[in-house]
Amino acid sequence: MNTSLRSPLIYTLFVMPALILFVMFFLYPIGSSLYYSLTSWNGVSAEPRFVGLSNYVKALTDERFWISTRNNGFFIGFSVLIQVPLIVLFSLLIANVKRLKGLYKTAVFLPSIMSTAVIGILWGFIYEPNIGLLNKILHVLGIDPIYWLSDNRFAMLSILVTNAWQWTGFYIVMVLAAILAIPRDLDEAAAIDGATAVQRAMRITLPLIRPIISVVIMLSIAGAMKAADIVIVMTKGGPAGSTEVLATYMIKYAITNFKYGYGNTIAVLIFALTLVLTAVYQLLVVRRSEKVEY
Amino acid sequence: MKKRMTLLLSLLLITSWTLAGCASSSNEPQQGAGNTPVEETSKEPVEMLLRHTQVGADKQKRLAILQDVVDKVEGEVPNLTFTLDGVESDVNRKEKLRGEMAAGNPPDIFELFGSPDSKVYAKEGMLLDLTPILQELGIQDQFTSLEPFTYEGKVYGLPIGGSGEGFFYNKEYFEQKGWKAPTTMAELDNILAEIKADGKVPLASASKAGWVPLMLTNHLWSRYAGPEITAKFATGEAKWTDPGVVQGFAKHKEWVDKGYFKKGELGFEYAEYTTQFTSGEVVLMYDGTWKSSVFKEGQSGESLIGKVGFFNMPPVENGAGDQTSLMRDVNNGYGFSATVADDPQKLEAVKAFIKNFYNEDMQVRGLVEDGVLPAMKLDEKVLTDSITDDLMKEIVAVLNASKTSFPAFDALVQADVTTEISNLQIQKLIGGQTTPEKMAEELQKVQEEANASVE
Repeated sequence: MNTSLRSPLIYTLFVMPALILFVMFFLYPIGSSLYYSLTSWNGVSAEPRFVGLSNYVKALTDERFWISTRNNGFFIGFSVLIQVPLIVLFSLLIANVKRLKGLYKTAVFLPSIMSTAVIGILWGFIYEPNIGLLNKILHVLGIDPIYWLSDNRFAMLSILVTNAWQWTGFYIVMVLAAILAIPRDLDEAAAIDGATAVQRAMRITLPLIRPIISVVIMLSIAGAMKAADIVIVMTKGGPAGSTEVLATYMIKYAITNFKYGYGNTIAVLIFALTLVLTAVYQLLVVRRSEKVEY
Repeated sequence: MKKRMTLLLSLLLITSWTLAGCASSSNEPQQGAGNTPVEETSKEPVEMLLRHTQVGADKQKRLAILQDVVDKVEGEVPNLTFTLDGVESDVNRKEKLRGEMAAGNPPDIFELFGSPDSKVYAKEGMLLDLTPILQELGIQDQFTSLEPFTYEGKVYGLPIGGSGEGFFYNKEYFEQKGWKAPTTMAELDNILAEIKADGKVPLASASKAGWVPLMLTNHLWSRYAGPEITAKFATGEAKWTDPGVVQGFAKHKEWVDKGYFKKGELGFEYAEYTTQFTSGEVVLMYDGTWKSSVFKEGQSGESLIGKVGFFNMPPVENGAGDQTSLMRDVNNGYGFSATVADDPQKLEAVKAFIKNFYNEDMQVRGLVEDGVLPAMKLDEKVLTDSITDDLMKEIVAVLNASKTSFPAFDALVQADVTTEISNLQIQKLIGGQTTPEKMAEELQKVQEEANASVE
């Protein structure tokens, strides 16, 4: 028994199934994407033509690629600067309610379990220029109607708000779990010492839930980089490409046009950008924050 | 030592299973049907996969036609069983079929988009050359156009049906005003202005997807610059910056600026296009003849049965070329896997399928039951005798009155150019972010890149 357990072959055998799956479903697809990104390939031909880095040059010199990248940046910015503070605020509020906590949790979580197509249609009604809720409110206030999804000044913002509405609840449940895991006696001790609710939230709760906030930000960045479905459902990347994101750019300018080589280039660039962003965030923020123990 | 041997053998076994599972099929180009040495006919049962896109309530009539053809073919070819695989049209075209083509195993019979898809697959040897079959059946000259499915002089697909484009109009409203269908652009302009003055919206609009407004723009530039011009962009014989093309763009923009379309059109889906017309909110709708099926019993335009007319884009002053020309499209069709040529039974089934699907009866049935224009040349008397629907009669009359036709622009220019005009330029024009001249320049730039590209 002991000799068996000391044999590296035994360990290899145990690791093998997971390793095979990892290679098949992660390393191989990434490797083949990298390979095809260096080719001119229509997705059908047996022999892709090697073109070196020209696909990368094409992408990086295409204005629309950068507009799409900027829009992914808007997703990240909106998530981190607006959505995350709201998530924390709502989590703190829900954590402190005495009654109907379950109802609140369910209510905020509900949008996350709905399909994006349904959410797109729902919000499409809200943004509808003639009978939509938002413009009805504006009409009552005597303000001219706004064409939320067809005016390039508002289309991106409309998508960002919808996307935030969809995912806020999901993250609130995560942050709420972290808040509720904090021992009550810490909060009670601070209350006895005369700390107000705001002071307790700022000085005790927030520092203790910083790790989960980091996770939420990381997930937001990753989610923002692969955003596509909400854009397709709500604006199809329009009007005039103003809401295009990298994934929809890849579909429109590569996959639809039989340019699978170029499509793989965009996929690799999305992967690389996400990797860089999360790595930078890890190095600059997560690694520097103190470990929390209670 | 024994243990190690056992472990090594186990590892080898696992690895060989994995590799066997990952083995890919060959992607060798196949021979055309005409060059196949016929093997001894097998008596074995043969199964064939037929991929179609007749899914959903509004395609039930089309599915029934297909099912009847399948039953006939199964009756004619011994031991043959078809498996029907219904997939949503866009999923079939852009995902499923492409994946199957890349893996080298497309279905035996499948719905195929003509240009550019069929040419890409034909070039790779994935499609069955139908030229000898058409000659054998004697129907090679029976189709209105096989151009979208022709590659290097050989036919690789057959169109299911055709469509044309023109203006559907609210007859009741026109009669109230004492108007007839306009015969010149100036008349149409006056009508649009009067509808606007009447407080109604003149033209339906839904420009979230660029192809919808481009139906109209395509016809406008074909009036001003001539119907042949679009085919010359890819060859470099003509440019998007041609004054006639720019004039077509300018006309569309003029109508937008005059408020002839509903505000906020860049946010409307194609479904709303029909709703605007059927609700009476708009008076005219520029659309494909397929839309006629909406004005039938049990459909969303039921209340307008007998109240809808159809007219061609009127001629313009100083327009180039045939001013009666209209857009005729035959881009949706059936293709067949090249591997069918290796199996005499399957080849026999394909011939039977073509014989039973592409004939006068089925074409007329498609027109009468489903409002799809025939893809084959039919005797005019047969055609007029078969139609009982007033709107369809009017459509056919308009089509017969047009001396020539032209394909939609996306069947004539490269995919990159289509993407540029559909996703960007037309929306910029409607949104006031570009001028007709600038739009033409941008398109020409992409066109030249596409013409020079070897991908």
